[in-house]
Amino acid sequence: MDDQTKPPLRDGPSRRGLFGAFGLAAGALAAPPVAAAPTGSEGHAPVTLSVNGREHRLTLDVRTTLLDALREHMDLTGAKKGCDHGQCGACTVHVDGSRVLSCLTLAISAEGRKVVTIEGLAKDGELHPMQQAFIDHDGFQCGYCTPGQIMSAVACVQEGHAATDDDIREYMSGNLCRCAAYPRIVAAIRQARGQMGAA
Amino acid sequence: MADTFGDPKQLFGKPTPRIDGKAKVTGSARFASDEPVGNPAYAYLVTSRIAKGRVTAIKLDAAKAVPGVLDILTHGNVGGQAKPAKAADGGPNTPTLDSDQVMHDGQIVAVVIADTYEAAREAAGKVAVTYAAETPSATFGSKGVKVASHKSRSGKPFPKKGDAARAYRAAPVKVDARYSTPPQHHNAIELFTSTCEWDGDHLTVYEPTQAMWGSKAAIAAQLGLEPENVRVVGRYIGGAFGGKGANAYTAWVAIAAKRLNRPVKLVVTREQGFTVRSWRAETRQQVRISAGKDGRLTSFFHSGQEVTSRPSQYAVAGVEVTPRMYACPNIDTKVEVVHADRPTPGFMRAPAETPYFFGLESAMDELAWKLNMDPVELRRINDTRDDPVTGLPFSTRSLMQCYDAAAAKFGWSQRSAKPGSMTDADWLIGYGCATATYPANVAPAAARLTLTPDGKAVAAIAGHEMGTGAYTVVAITAAGALGIPVDKVKVLMGDSDLPPLTIGGGSNNAASKAHVVAKAAGEIRKRLAEAAVAANGPFKGLDPATLTLKDGKLLGPSGQTEDLKTAVSRVGSLVEVYAENNPEGLPPEAMANTYKGQTAMLRGGGRKDHSAFSFGAHFVEVRVHRLTREIRVPRVVSAFAGGTIINPLTAYSQYMGGVIWGLSAALFEATDLHQAQARYVNNDLAGYVIPVNADTPSIDVIMVDEPDNTTNPLGIKGIGEIGITGMNAAVANAVYHATGIRVRDLPIRPEKLLAHA
Ligand code: FES
Ligand code: FES
Repeated sequence: MDDQTKPPLRDGPSRRGLFGAFGLAAGALAAPPVAAAPTGSEGHAPVTLSVNGREHRLTLDVRTTLLDALREHMDLTGAKKGCDHGQCGACTVHVDGSRVLSCLTLAISAEGRKVVTIEGLAKDGELHPMQQAFIDHDGFQCGYCTPGQIMSAVACVQEGHAATDDDIREYMSGNLCRCAAYPRIVAAIRQARGQMGAA
Repeated sequence: MADTFGDPKQLFGKPTPRIDGKAKVTGSARFASDEPVGNPAYAYLVTSRIAKGRVTAIKLDAAKAVPGVLDILTHGNVGGQAKPAKAADGGPNTPTLDSDQVMHDGQIVAVVIADTYEAAREAAGKVAVTYAAETPSATFGSKGVKVASHKSRSGKPFPKKGDAARAYRAAPVKVDARYSTPPQHHNAIELFTSTCEWDGDHLTVYEPTQAMWGSKAAIAAQLGLEPENVRVVGRYIGGAFGGKGANAYTAWVAIAAKRLNRPVKLVVTREQGFTVRSWRAETRQQVRISAGKDGRLTSFFHSGQEVTSRPSQYAVAGVEVTPRMYACPNIDTKVEVVHADRPTPGFMRAPAETPYFFGLESAMDELAWKLNMDPVELRRINDTRDDPVTGLPFSTRSLMQCYDAAAAKFGWSQRSAKPGSMTDADWLIGYGCATATYPANVAPAAARLTLTPDGKAVAAIAGHEMGTGAYTVVAITAAGALGIPVDKVKVLMGDSDLPPLTIGGGSNNAASKAHVVAKAAGEIRKRLAEAAVAANGPFKGLDPATLTLKDGKLLGPSGQTEDLKTAVSRVGSLVEVYAENNPEGLPPEAMANTYKGQTAMLRGGGRKDHSAFSFGAHFVEVRVHRLTREIRVPRVVSAFAGGTIINPLTAYSQYMGGVIWGLSAALFEATDLHQAQARYVNNDLAGYVIPVNADTPSIDVIMVDEPDNTTNPLGIKGIGEIGITGMNAAVANAVYHATGIRVRDLPIRPEKLLAHA
C-alpha cells in the first residue's frame, strides 16, 4: 500500500489538539468502506491486523475501534479505555511507529499497518528503558493511564519532543493521569531519554 | 507489642519500588474489565433524559431489531428482581430499574445486552423512552428544593462549646464570610465497569471496587443471595478516590447474565459515569471567626449546606473537623442538607475536609490580614495540644513542625506582605499557605500468611490496590516481620474470597493491613520459636520470646542462628497463620461486622482518651497575569506529619497526588449544571477540566518525622487523603496576596479576577 492512500493517522495525541484528534476520527470514518463482502453477520468484515509482530485474523463489526479490537478480540488488554473519545490518552498505541489514539482509530483502518502495544514494548523479557524508568521514579499510582503514558513517552522521545522538561510536559499533555503522577512521569522520561538515545 | 505484632518495622521507611510495578508497566496488570471471561455479551446503559418524573412507556421494537441484540432490561421486565441499591452512607438512594420514578437526569432506565459492544451501543440509542416530566430543582436556591437540618453520622450533635455568638459580638477583630465549593466528579481514568459470570448459584463479579467485602455484601443483599455465593474480584483498580464502592448497576448486569446464561460485561461510558455513580456535592458555607488583638481566637462558627438527592440524607459535615484545628473557647457549628433532583452524592477524596477547609483556611487567612499578622504566626498562636472539641489530647500533633519545615524550604520569609507588591514583569506574584489535616483511622482486618522452608511467604488479604501501593505495603510489612527480602513475599489481594479488609476509604487501609499482617507474622515467629526451643538444637531451653526472625534466619539472643529451612520444616511442610486484628477501642462485634461487609472503623476523632489526626502545611506560589488574569502555579511546598511512613517512595506519590488534586480543586474542577434541566453539561474529560502535565508545577513534599505509639501500635496514620485538604485555600490565599482579590467561590478562574481588573 502506498503511503498516500492510507487514511491520515496523526501523531501526538493532545487534549489541546482535540480538534486534530477528531479530525482523525473523521478521516478514519471517511475512509472507503471495506470492499470485501461482509462474512457472516451483517456489518461484519474480515480484518487482518499485525500487532506486536503477530498477524491476527478477525471478523469484526466494521464499527469496531482498534482499541476494542485489541481488548475484546485479541485479549491484548494493555491499552486502556478511559474515555473512548480521544480525550485521555489511555488507549495510546503505536501505528507504523507513531503514537495514535486507538479509540479513535477504526480497526479496519489499521489493516496493513504495524501496530505495537504496551505488551510488545519489552523485548525478550527485558523491559524497555522507559518502562524501567517509570518503575524507578514511581511514575504512576493506579497504573491505569500507564500503558498509554509509556507508549506516548517512547514516541515523544523518538519525535524529538523530549529535549526539555517544558517540552516533555507539553508533548505529554494528551495523556491524563488522574492520580497526578505528572512530575514523576517527567522525571522518568528524562531518565529514559538518554538511555534510548544511547541504545 | 513484640508478641502481638512482631517487629515489622524493619523495612519501614526504606524507599521500595512497587512489587506490582512490572505488571503495571508491561500491561499485564489485569484491571477488572481486562479479566478474560468466556464469550461475553456486552451491556450498554440507557439513561433518563429528564431529571424528575416518571417513565410512562419504553418502546423496544427498533432496539430489538438491531442485529445481535439479545435482551433489554427495564423496570417492566425485571424491576422487582433486585432490591434498591443503598447510598454510600447505607441510607436510601435514588432508584434505577427498581422503579418507574425518575429522580435525576441520567438515571438508569434500561440496560441493553448484545453480542457485541457496537450492537449494544446502537440499540441503546434506539430505545424509545417516554416520560411524564416534572420541573426539576437543580441546586441551592432553585425553586422546589427542600432544606433539612442534618444529624451527624454518630448521632451526636455537631460541635458546640461556650457561647460563640456572644464572644463574636464582643471581639475586637472578626471575619464573617461566605464561601462555596462546586460539584465535582472523581473521574478516575478507569471507567466504571462490571463483568458478571454465573456458575450455577455462584456469582463472580469482576469490578473495580474499593470495598471487596462491602460490594459482595451489597450485591448479595440486593439479589437475595447468600454472601458466600458471591465473589467480587478487582485485582487492580484504576483509581477510585472514593467513587468506587457498591453501586446500583451491578445487580442488573448479574440479572442479565443469569437470563442469558452467559457472562455479561458492562463498561459505563465516561458521560454516564457522571450520573450513575456518586459525586462530591456542592457546598455553601458561612464562617464567623473572631480574635483578640493578640490573635488568639475567641469564637468560631462554621455552618454548611450541602446538596443531596431527594431520598438521601448523605452529607459530609466537615464542621466535625474544622473546630478541632485551633484553640478556641467558643464554638458553634451546624449543617443542613438541601434535597434536589440530583443523583446521591458520596465519598470523594477527603470528603469532609476538602470543601470545609476551604472555608476554614480562607477565613483564617482573612483574619490574619485583619490582624496585620503573618498567617503562619496566626496558626502558631492558636496551636493546641488538645482537641478543642473534645478536650482530649492529640496523640501527636506536628502542625507547626510542618509549617516551619515547609516555610523554610519555600522561602516564606522572602514574602513582602502587601498584596500586589511582588511582581515579575507582567506577572503578579502571590504566596499563600494553609493547614492540612486528616483523621487517623484504622479498621478490623483478617489475613492469611504462609511461610515455606525455602524462605518464601504468601500474604493474602482482600485489600484494594487503587494506586496507593497496597501490594507493596503488605510485602514490606510481611518481609520485615519475617526477616526475609521483600521480593520473597507474594501478595494476593483484590478478591473477596480472601480474608476481609474494610473499605479502602478514610485512609485506613495501610494501617489496617499492616497491623493484621504484622500480627500474623508475629504468630509465625512464635510458633517457630516455640518449636525451636523444645527441640534439640541451638535454641534448646531458651525463652521463645527471645528468638527473632532476621536475614532469612531464626536468631537467638546470643547470636545463635538457624536457617528457615530447618526452622520451618520442624513445624511442617509450611507454617500458615490466619490472623484477625480488631483495633483496641472498637467493640468486639466490629470484627464480625467486617465479615458482613460493614464498615467498622476506629476514627481519629471519635476515640475515648485521645484524638488522632495527621497534620500538614501547604505553601503555594501563584502568578497572575496583570492583564489577562491567567493564573499559573509554578511551585508548591507541602509538609506532612503522618506518623510512620511504610514506603516513602509511594507515600511521596500519594501526598503529591493529593496536593495536585487540591490545586485542581482550586483552579480547575467543577461540574457545571444546567439549572433548568438539573443536568450536567460538561460531562466528559474535555469539559471537566483536570490538570494535564503542562498544568502541573514542581511539587516538593516534605515528610516530617513523627514517631507515634498512641494512635495505634505501629503509629500508622494514613496518607491518601491529607494532601488535598487545605490546598484549595492555600491557592486562594496566594491569589489574594498577588491581586488583593479574595475569591470565595471555587474554582478560581481568570474571569473571577477580571471582574475586578
Ligand atoms: S480512551 Fe482513547 S483517548 Fe481516552
Ligand atoms: S496512574 Fe492512575 S491515572 Fe495515572
